[in-house]
Amino acid sequence: MTLESAMSIAGVIVVLAPLLLVLAFCTSTLTRWSPSELSSSRLTEASVLTGLLAAAFVFAGMLWGGSRNVEIEVGNWATLHGPTPLDTYHFHFKFVFDRLSVPFALLTFVLVGTVGAFANRYLHREPGFHRFFSMYALFLLGMIVATLAGTVETLFVGWELVGLSSALLVAFFHDRLAPVRNGLRVWTVYRLADAAFLIAAVALHQVHGAGDFAELTGNGVWPDAQASLSPSAALTIGLLVLVAAAGKSGLVPFSEWLPRAMEGPTPSSAVFYGALSVHLGAYLLLRVSPLLALSTPLCVAVVALGLITAAYGAVVARAQTDVKTALAFASLAQVGLITAEIGMGWDYFALVHIIGHASFRTLQLLRAPSVLHDYQSLENALGEALAPTEAGAIASEKRRYWYRFAYLRGQLDGWMNRLIVEPFLSVFRNCRNAEERWLKWLGGPPRETPVDSGADREVAPGEAA
Amino acid sequence: MTSPTHDPADRDGDVDFEHLIAHLAHLLPSQGPISVFVHHNTLHAFEEQSFHEAVQTAADLYDCHPYLPEPDYRVALKRGRITQQDLEAELYDVLGDEGDRLLGRLGTRHELWMSMLEHPLREGTEAEIRWFIDETEALYRFRPEASDAAREQTIDDTRRWLVRDYFNGIVISPARRQRIDALINQFGGRGAVDSWDDPTWEAFSLHLLWLACEDGATVAEVSSPACEDRHWAQANELVDAAMIRLCAAFLDQGFAPWILPERDRGLLQAFLALHQDALPADSWLARFPARAREIRQQGVAASQLIEQSLVELQIPPAQYEQRLQEQLLSLRGWAGTLWQMETNAEWAPWPAPPGSLVEYVAVRLLLLREAVAAVRRSDATSPATVRETQRQHQANLAFVLFQIAEIRGWSGAELLRQSRDEWMLLTDEATAFPSRMRRRVYHLAYERHYREQSLGAIQQAAARPDPPAGEPAYQVVCCIDDREESFRRHLEEVDPACETLGFAGFFGVAMYYRGLGETHFRPLCPVNVKPRHYIVEEPVYTEATASRRRAAARKALGRAAQGVTFGSRSVLGGLVTGLLGAIATAPLVLRVVAPRLADVLLRGAGRMVRDRRTRLHLETTAPPADGRRDGYTVDEMAAIVGGMLRTTGLPAKWSPLVIICGHGSSSLNNPHAAAYDCGACGGGRGGPNARAFARMANDPRVRAILSERGIAVPPTTVFVGAYHNTCDDSVVYYDLDSLQSGADAAMSRAREAIDEARRRDAHERSRRFESADLNATPERALRHVEGRAADLSQVRSECGHATNALCLVGRRQWSRDLFLDRRAFLTSYDPVFDDEEHSVLANLLAAVIPVCAGINLEYYFSRIDNVGYGCGTKLPHNLTSLLGVVDGAGSDLRTGLPWQMVEIHEPLRILFIIETTAAALKKIMAANPAIERLVVGEWVQLAIIDPAHATIQLYRRGEFVPFESHDAPLPTASASAAWYRGQRDHLGFALIDAAKGHASSGGPR
Repeated sequence: MTLESAMSIAGVIVVLAPLLLVLAFCTSTLTRWSPSELSSSRLTEASVLTGLLAAAFVFAGMLWGGSRNVEIEVGNWATLHGPTPLDTYHFHFKFVFDRLSVPFALLTFVLVGTVGAFANRYLHREPGFHRFFSMYALFLLGMIVATLAGTVETLFVGWELVGLSSALLVAFFHDRLAPVRNGLRVWTVYRLADAAFLIAAVALHQVHGAGDFAELTGNGVWPDAQASLSPSAALTIGLLVLVAAAGKSGLVPFSEWLPRAMEGPTPSSAVFYGALSVHLGAYLLLRVSPLLALSTPLCVAVVALGLITAAYGAVVARAQTDVKTALAFASLAQVGLITAEIGMGWDYFALVHIIGHASFRTLQLLRAPSVLHDYQSLENALGEALAPTEAGAIASEKRRYWYRFAYLRGQLDGWMNRLIVEPFLSVFRNCRNAEERWLKWLGGPPRETPVDSGADREVAPGEAA
Repeated sequence: MTSPTHDPADRDGDVDFEHLIAHLAHLLPSQGPISVFVHHNTLHAFEEQSFHEAVQTAADLYDCHPYLPEPDYRVALKRGRITQQDLEAELYDVLGDEGDRLLGRLGTRHELWMSMLEHPLREGTEAEIRWFIDETEALYRFRPEASDAAREQTIDDTRRWLVRDYFNGIVISPARRQRIDALINQFGGRGAVDSWDDPTWEAFSLHLLWLACEDGATVAEVSSPACEDRHWAQANELVDAAMIRLCAAFLDQGFAPWILPERDRGLLQAFLALHQDALPADSWLARFPARAREIRQQGVAASQLIEQSLVELQIPPAQYEQRLQEQLLSLRGWAGTLWQMETNAEWAPWPAPPGSLVEYVAVRLLLLREAVAAVRRSDATSPATVRETQRQHQANLAFVLFQIAEIRGWSGAELLRQSRDEWMLLTDEATAFPSRMRRRVYHLAYERHYREQSLGAIQQAAARPDPPAGEPAYQVVCCIDDREESFRRHLEEVDPACETLGFAGFFGVAMYYRGLGETHFRPLCPVNVKPRHYIVEEPVYTEATASRRRAAARKALGRAAQGVTFGSRSVLGGLVTGLLGAIATAPLVLRVVAPRLADVLLRGAGRMVRDRRTRLHLETTAPPADGRRDGYTVDEMAAIVGGMLRTTGLPAKWSPLVIICGHGSSSLNNPHAAAYDCGACGGGRGGPNARAFARMANDPRVRAILSERGIAVPPTTVFVGAYHNTCDDSVVYYDLDSLQSGADAAMSRAREAIDEARRRDAHERSRRFESADLNATPERALRHVEGRAADLSQVRSECGHATNALCLVGRRQWSRDLFLDRRAFLTSYDPVFDDEEHSVLANLLAAVIPVCAGINLEYYFSRIDNVGYGCGTKLPHNLTSLLGVVDGAGSDLRTGLPWQMVEIHEPLRILFIIETTAAALKKIMAANPAIERLVVGEWVQLAIIDPAHATIQLYRRGEFVPFESHDAPLPTASASAAWYRGQRDHLGFALIDAAKGHASSGGPR
């Protein structure tokens, strides 16, 4: 067996391991078998370890053999033929192992494995234990598929799985109102990002006839590939991708979903919003970085959005009084910086930054409940009380302004509600009202009871006596 | 409320809002900052009422459970944790003579109530009931709980009635006849009746029964239709969201790098300043900035603002109190914490200024004005009507009667025969025994079962002959804490020649303490004591220079840690930590995968900068300055030592070595860590107290004074301080360097025994942890609990006080070798050393009863309603403002205990068993209102024991009633392990006797 074929097999294992885990958990909900805590965690461990070892093998093989690109074809799942080649559509699954995806896949396995081991004890005896690990497996699969995706379609599938599992884990404690509401909010923002992504994918097909990154980025291997699009098409598609990335990574103006997402159990908050999920938007931008290189205005937009987000995150974090929110905004500041780095074309730098930031933030979030103890030990070591400042060096008349901005988190959600959500909803509300008025006009004089209030009941108990 | 006579309005008609709010504030949870967690009765504000009244009042007020949910008790009944006899006995007790009252032809009240108790009665909304009736087999098959006899009886009766009476034209109202005819037609019409088979008859009987119940329930009337104001509810939600953020920013104790501007001027001014020139995105706040400017310019006071808002909200003055109470309770965690920070936290880094709670209400009402107006503008749907409420009530009643009828074997025919008056009586009875009342009876039975068992066990244990008198090899004085019960029991098993005693874990040494390498003094004494003595730990003389060097090293490390912690949250610092962050994977993976190893490594590293040989600066060197002392005088020391010796009765037998053992708990990633520490040290760790006590007791000058006062400590007796960590079961000893050579042998023997005892203790504790192997050896169990203490991901580092249920006050001999399953506080008290006035016992109980009751009741309420009274599951907790925890992204501040702490707790009121006489205890109660309130109000259960005659008297409604045991003889086991081995659940009592025990394992009770 050659190294090439061994690496291909290992590559298949990397994807299969999480897929089998998801299948195992899914089928268990269809049958009466409900896995015990031990088997849930053993299955997860086994899958993560297998995937990790296989990915490490591919990585070692790439270093050893000098091959920079291993592709795994899963084939066309649907083909629509049109009169011209441009009208033909392939639903094409392909996985690519290259210098971008392999480190990211390794990071995913390491963090998911560690946090999974953490969650195994943290969620012990929690009624939703199995539900958590099912969602967690779905998330792992989504991350791996999105990371290794070789076509836009493949990436989209992984992207959706990550979004779905995120939203469901935010709403993990569905017996309370706030997690459900916030889960829904996260889900809505993700939908918006997905819509942008989907339009970008369709546009890419329209321009190019296929969703392969290889087609898109020419024949080179990341990050040296050259895209073969016209700058204007690159700008349009790139902006759509930027919207998608902004939604997924919580860049301005979508940022307020990130603190809302802290409703789930601590380990899921750590791995999703400290580490992996939040970097997925940045990863998408990295993946299409050849596209960015084509259009300077696009790069400017990416850098600007990144820097604005970094500044926003850093300012807002200063007034946050609870540890998870503070860490969420601190993460955001770094994700903003990473985005700006990608816009500048510093791809390797951004990759290192992502990996380091994800590891560090995960540890911080997992230790979030210790913050009181940490402050005490710090005070003991320093021999003095830790004192906050009054908005630092900012002049006093500006101080209130900046504090309010940070305290209200820039009211990003508020303005979005007011400028987008409410007008959107009111259109539909008006339509409904118009329909009702119309029906009323058609139906003649009003009846005594409204149609939907218990008229289907034959005899009300109160009237029977 | 405790003082209904309170009149909010004075003579001029002006309302004193400050006074009113201060009065209402006692309804708020009284938990302070989480770093000093003090157990207290969650319903302390209601202690004037009796327990059962209070839980009902509070249940209405806070929308919480008064007892466990009914299904939980039913499970207990099924498991034998409650028996039928317990239930019958308590029902007789509750009903008294009323139980024999006949209800028409349908049996006695006792029978009706008993059948309501025995089988689950489902209730639901009208829609749920309709669904259940329409979509399930409810009208086709009898419920499985119904006996065959009841089933037969119903069907036979229905058949007779239909064929004999109905078809022959009995008198019945036309409306009913119409419905019954419709029903018969549904089953194939009159002609088909003869061909009905058994299942059809069953279905018809049930249909008829439901018809009768529905029909009958219409006579019931609804007393007060609850017509809630939906606008208010919606508006309150908007206000809550804004207030959560404001309170967190206002009360922040130093987490956020920026401080709320104008915080020093109070909540109201800070709030107005924040909003006066804002541009709100939320439309409901659109007009608010202008208003804020106006109020700020006019300088309106908070109480004036409250009045203005109430007037504008069109609330009549008669409702002021109720509405303000609603506003306070809407976010009761934050409001309560605000009140605590305002009144009771002068030691905190940033206590709230006086008047904060009034300003809080003022701000709330200001926001509420805007919110109510906005909600009214946008929403025009009507609230639930009276008619709907009535329909709901009747549907529920019909459904409950239907379920009872199935069990009791009442047929539809029988019910149709009932007159209107009989129906009224029946529905009254069914509603008179609502779920809450049933739960109360269940709860009483639940408590009775354990009480009978424990009193029976203790009576039998006390009846054993006294052990031979002789000098113990050594003595160990532990805290009275229930977690030390197993430690003491194992120690006595390992070395039967030792003696153990229990005394409140601060050992009488009430002090502010600052350890070496610590920055702040912290109180180490019960919360109701205000210490005057400030004690510091310092390096021994020869280590002074080295100690300074280590302090400098610690400081440098601290600076680095500070840089990482805070830097990582800024942009550039974050960039640096981000780029180097991959290094964090190493500690991350190590801590999660191998917590114990990580802990060992960390400790090893920490040892380099920690001082090894230290001493306490215990004796005062300067004259007392304005009440604050930097040490104790010899006289004070003698008083402390003498008090402890006299109370515990330790001088009854002297041994060469007395180990004074404080306790505490160490766990990681646990905001509630303080709740696991020593309650008698105010949520601190009691090691320094034990160390100080031992030093005092060893002082020859102290001993001289003591012998003048009649306590002669033998010169050969040595005291040693120690500290027991109840989480990882480690024991450390203090000042062994200065141990006298004469005590070496006893010390070695004690250490050896203690080492074995803590292994066994860890083993016994491990049976409660599902993740620990039941078949592990004691050595492995010890490693397991050490791992738990070092594990970041462990949310149940130990069980704390969970399962506490008893408190024994008296000599050890009548409870020694009795397996109490870590459920009992053990307080040593020897009546021999008490005076005629029982002043020693009075002093002891003045501390022990409120403290143990506080712990017990906090666990009770947090377990009964973990969401309402407790703080819910730990998993989404988020530490905020360095003050407390909220759920996830932000919620009310959660007070009480988390689910993981109370999960295995059995909510029982604590039972005190005190070695004294009825007369003495009555006298003590009369002299101490706090104890009297708890005992007479039935917040605790109380019994007295006379060990000489092995008699027990139980306090029931003001009198001590002799207790008679009905239980079989106590089982005997050869060792504790032989009794608990292989068991996870609560265990029954057993005598441990190495000689007699047969190695049978203890079954669940």
